[in-house]
Amino acid sequence: MKRSTFYLMLVAMIPMTIILCAATLLLAAAKVGEPAPTFAATASDGKTYKLADYHGKYVVLEWHNNGCPYVGKQYNSGNMQKLQKQWTGKGVVWFTILSSAPGKQGFVTASDENSYLAKMQAAPTAALLDPSGEIGHLYDAKTSPQMVVINPQGIVIYDGAIDDKPTTDVADVPGATNYVSLALEQSMSGKPVATPATRPYGCSVKYSDSSH
Amino acid sequence: MALCSARAQAAGAPIPHGTLELISEKQWIAAGHPFDVALHFELEKGWHVYWVNPGDSGEPPRVTWDLPAGIKAGAIEWPAPRRFGTSTIADYGYEDAVTLVVPMRAEASLASQKPVQIAANVKVLVCREMCVPGNGQVSLTLPVKLQPPPANVQSTPFFAEARKAWPRPAPASWKFSIAQTNDSFVLTAKLGRKITDATFFPVAESQISNASAQTLVPTAMGFTLTLRKSDQLLKPIARLKGVILLSGDKAYSIDVPIGVPGTSGP
Repeated sequence: MKRSTFYLMLVAMIPMTIILCAATLLLAAAKVGEPAPTFAATASDGKTYKLADYHGKYVVLEWHNNGCPYVGKQYNSGNMQKLQKQWTGKGVVWFTILSSAPGKQGFVTASDENSYLAKMQAAPTAALLDPSGEIGHLYDAKTSPQMVVINPQGIVIYDGAIDDKPTTDVADVPGATNYVSLALEQSMSGKPVATPATRPYGCSVKYSDSSH
Repeated sequence: MALCSARAQAAGAPIPHGTLELISEKQWIAAGHPFDVALHFELEKGWHVYWVNPGDSGEPPRVTWDLPAGIKAGAIEWPAPRRFGTSTIADYGYEDAVTLVVPMRAEASLASQKPVQIAANVKVLVCREMCVPGNGQVSLTLPVKLQPPPANVQSTPFFAEARKAWPRPAPASWKFSIAQTNDSFVLTAKLGRKITDATFFPVAESQISNASAQTLVPTAMGFTLTLRKSDQLLKPIARLKGVILLSGDKAYSIDVPIGVPGTSGP
């Protein structure tokens, strides 16, 4: 009951927030504690996904580049797939986002990505193709694998690294504290997220203007 | 050990897109005296390795030493880095080549006459458009004597070059202060002359927004430099520590307390 009142209040505040933020929302990147910028994108499965359609659910965003050794660490160890299965199994929506520009490392066609997902036995809700880097820039995604967690109210509750071991070493996966799982667990049990922002380690996102 | 000392004094090791060598400044170790060794990275054109704070992506080289009893390694002396990147992502590091000097201590009890092997396993990420992680295994065998050692002429230029690039302590007469707004730190420097070019490199991650432009305003006695706060900085910090690079190539270490908002600063 209390929760729904709070939710109604939030809904009532939305138009106001939109008026206040409309001018900056297009430019400003996602920030912890603020509404997640909305987007629509075509996925490797050919469907269009809109963030706004998942209001009321937790959403995880995972920046991906299949050539990045930090991403390789998570997929070769099976950790990323495990997280995808674990959390989508609990009703979380998981978007893998591919922001590499054409010609850059990690750029894939829909069919390349579908083969990769099958080969890796990955299980995101969808893999969103973002070759223009639009979603990447909207969230100011700096690295792969950068992770963002959005709560059912559409607020960013975590933005940063996947875990606390910023290395490419598969051996570091088992002992690591996973910030995404931690944020989801804490938020789902009604607690504040203890670590809402970290440095998102990894390879730089290969935008069209990237040079390094 | 006999095999090792029969080999060339320094053996280079392959790393992704380059080589890594462990070099000694002097020809031997004098028991009871400090000495310097260095990790010298030679990279293919355009490839880079990272500073202690790598910035938005990447990671610094990580060294695990394998040392005989009586020898202890100090911390890496990092040369001033340069900034790579775009308006979205910025990293700090070294392109093409860098020499990371490491001070070592040799205890007086170190048995003389017997050569010692200094070895290091270096985990390193080498990047250009993309990044390749690697491991460099390097070692160096040095005699131990009582007399002061002469310089190693082949390595002298690398040590000289590295020291030239070290940030120096800022002169005591220079005054720095930092004020803050909601989204920025404003560094005010009074150096006794007008400065038109300065860049700040924070030693710690996640304090400033690395890719944001640093706005310099020259003043009669120095400058002010506005540094956008990092989005990852959710709790107040007491100090900013780092390297200030003036006019492109003169680097100084600074460690400045941050004033409480609404006060004039310390």
